[in-house]
Amino acid sequence: MDEQAFRLEVRQWIKENFPEEWRFPPHRLSLRQTETWQRKLYEKGWSAPNWPKEYGGMGLTAYQQISFQQAFDAHGINIAPNMAVTMLGPLLIRYGTEAQKQYYLPRILSGEIRWCQGYSEPGAGSDLAGLRTSAVLQGDHFIVNGQKIWTSYAHEADMIFMLVRTDKEAKKQEGISFLLGDMKAPGITIRRIKNLTGSSEFCEVFFDNVKIPKENIVGQLNQGWTMAKSLLGSERITIGSPRVAKYPLQLLGKLAKERGLMENPEFRAQYDALRLDVADLDATFVRFAEVLRRGEELGPEVSLLKIWITETYQRVTDLMIEITGEAAVLDEMLVLADGAQVHPANHYFASRPASIYGGTNEIQRNILAKAILELPG
Amino acid sequence: MIDLKTRIDRFSDQQRMIQESAASFFSDAGNYKRIRERRGIAPGYDQSVWKAMADLGWLGFWLPEKYDGMGLGFAEASLLLEQGGRALAPEPLISAALMAGGAILHGDNEGLKAECLPRLMAGDWKPALAWQEAESSQQTESSSVTAVAQSGGFALTGSKYFIPAAEGADAFVVAARTPSGTALFLVDKGSAGTVIETHPRVDGGFFGTLKLAGVRVSASRCVASPGMGRAVLDRVLDEGRLAASAELLGVMSRALEISVAYIRQREQFGRPIGSFQALQHRAVDLFILVELSRSVLAHGAAVFDASPDPARRAVAASQAKARCSDAALKVAKGCVQLHGGIGYTDECDIGLFLKKSMVLATWLGSAAHHRRRYGELVAEAV
Ligand SMILES: Cc1cc2nc3c(=O)[nH]c(=O)nc-3n(C[C@H](O)[C@H](O)[C@H](O)COP(=O)(O)OP(=O)(O)OC[C@H]3O[C@@H](n4cnc5c(N)ncnc54)[C@H](O)[C@@H]3O)c2cc1C
Repeated sequence: MDEQAFRLEVRQWIKENFPEEWRFPPHRLSLRQTETWQRKLYEKGWSAPNWPKEYGGMGLTAYQQISFQQAFDAHGINIAPNMAVTMLGPLLIRYGTEAQKQYYLPRILSGEIRWCQGYSEPGAGSDLAGLRTSAVLQGDHFIVNGQKIWTSYAHEADMIFMLVRTDKEAKKQEGISFLLGDMKAPGITIRRIKNLTGSSEFCEVFFDNVKIPKENIVGQLNQGWTMAKSLLGSERITIGSPRVAKYPLQLLGKLAKERGLMENPEFRAQYDALRLDVADLDATFVRFAEVLRRGEELGPEVSLLKIWITETYQRVTDLMIEITGEAAVLDEMLVLADGAQVHPANHYFASRPASIYGGTNEIQRNILAKAILELPG
Repeated sequence: MIDLKTRIDRFSDQQRMIQESAASFFSDAGNYKRIRERRGIAPGYDQSVWKAMADLGWLGFWLPEKYDGMGLGFAEASLLLEQGGRALAPEPLISAALMAGGAILHGDNEGLKAECLPRLMAGDWKPALAWQEAESSQQTESSSVTAVAQSGGFALTGSKYFIPAAEGADAFVVAARTPSGTALFLVDKGSAGTVIETHPRVDGGFFGTLKLAGVRVSASRCVASPGMGRAVLDRVLDEGRLAASAELLGVMSRALEISVAYIRQREQFGRPIGSFQALQHRAVDLFILVELSRSVLAHGAAVFDASPDPARRAVAASQAKARCSDAALKVAKGCVQLHGGIGYTDECDIGLFLKKSMVLATWLGSAAHHRRRYGELVAEAV
């Protein structure tokens, strides 16, 4: 099918199938909340735009993924990304055993198994390789002890993909393995953490002698870091997508229009600058996506996408607060003329972690300074 | 420092050739010593370099093959101009060739095309575009400069400002108001009733003012007929904006390279200052601006190459000029800071880059102007 026809089909299908009341939501929706929609996407065969067709994905090029995603954004769809689709799937396809692929991939697609990502620990954030949660092989099982933190949607997850220390003597990057754990296993305790918006998307996860079958290791023992790094790479490109700021920018536009600010030169100057900040990232994203389209890899340069779009997002929410005045600090929804609901403060809050997760923006700058500018350590 | 362009962008054979020959040309002709020596000396550029460019066919880089030009697309032309920007080359490739020559090309006077374009390409004759009537105005509908019909021609009166390379120009393409709209006329240098004033610029070049007092022009020297002048001007101005963006990209990317090399080598506190995180992060932020500019320029060139539609081109030109102007100034200022005290000296090359950025960033509309124009042209998706 040609691209134009496909785009039209996508738009039409979304319009017919996405529940009206979920459009432009005041908070990002979770996968669990939107289960019926996930089901429809699955039945349509649209769960995994980035996976190859042979594994049930759509096999879209990076280019096509961008325009596919744009149709969702334009319709006001704002759902937490499915990390199993964006991160775990590609990793299993690359490093998993045949049995792992056959078992897990279809269940990721169907949503039968929901996942969370267990990397960060209280003592290992930016310095992730310093993680200490240990896994010791005893017979047919790894025995896992330790603690993960900031684990998004752990309370909704059936399984966790995690990094654990399997060799305490080795250099820190060389003693890490990648495991798939059952969140219902005895010894796991989950504690939800309330964030600045008052909701709790992320959790602490405690492991007390938790047994994970030994066949649940992905890749070789002590090879987890290499795989995690390839995974962080793909995570960074998603976090660097222009969509991060597009939806908030659209809300800002709605708010401004309602307040009659579109003719106000002072507002317009800031607003148009932000529109260009996003449009220019679009052009950069396309340029980077082109590398993927050619079948080549992107390296540390993707960090620049992440830095730019997350900081643009934060400038968008700054302006949202600015134009809403005192109403910006009310813990209430503003209902706009078209029915859209906006909670400016929550957008302001939600834009904070954008520069923290997926490697903080300081860490991204360190990466660019070393790997691209080749500045001394 | 790794060149991201080499690392992630791919070029056709033709594009690679243009880039390589431009890089080697400017590395010979364009060292910064030459730039320093030319500063403040009229006409502000080097006629011998201009001739050498003519020999390479570059003065017709924008001209269709039908006129024996190179007929380059904007994707290719930007690579050439970017190299010129890196070398801070003052030769008026954009203002004289692409814009003034382009006005003749896109006008409706076939006789003038046949007469002027080959001479321009050969480097023997240079036009300048005299369109601007007031500071900071990008208005292309002429108002204060008028053309009054007289027997067999027109009489032109009024003043045109901020004309690049006015000194060395052999003729001016002058926009003037007629009762049926803006028209363009070719006024030879030294025509009775003309006065040229030159004003030195901070970068060592010049802007000229052309004063016209009832200057007689015959109808056969009308470049674009009454009513058509504005569309021609809009076209060459947007082409000029995209082209100036390419030069700005060259200026800022070279400035950053020089500065990154400097902070790797300069030591304080017993270590290279480039090992200090504060400077690393500053350099990274400048690097991001350079890469955004490069992306926007590539996007703009693709839009120009895909379509002559003025509306689409206007958006792409403003998007590119807004980003590249803003980024070049930020990069150049940031680079002065990375240099410390030496960065404030005339002796240090980095100042040349700041000054060139200032000139190109304000010319043909500043970043703020083009952000505003973009905002007006593109309906917001609300
Ligand atoms: C909303 C949200 C969701 C998350 N979801 C998950 C998840 O699902 N799974 C998961 O595993 N993790 C998740 N994380 C964790 C995230 O990856 C970490 O927060 C992040 O890596 C930073 O680690 P930290 O919080 O320990 O901060 P720290 O590393 O302590 O950093 C604190 C500050 O110091 C700076 N800093 C640290 N080192 C350097 C340095 N070398 N140079 C300069 N500055 C430095 C940082 O930039 C930051 O500003 C999530 C985080 C958030 C906020």
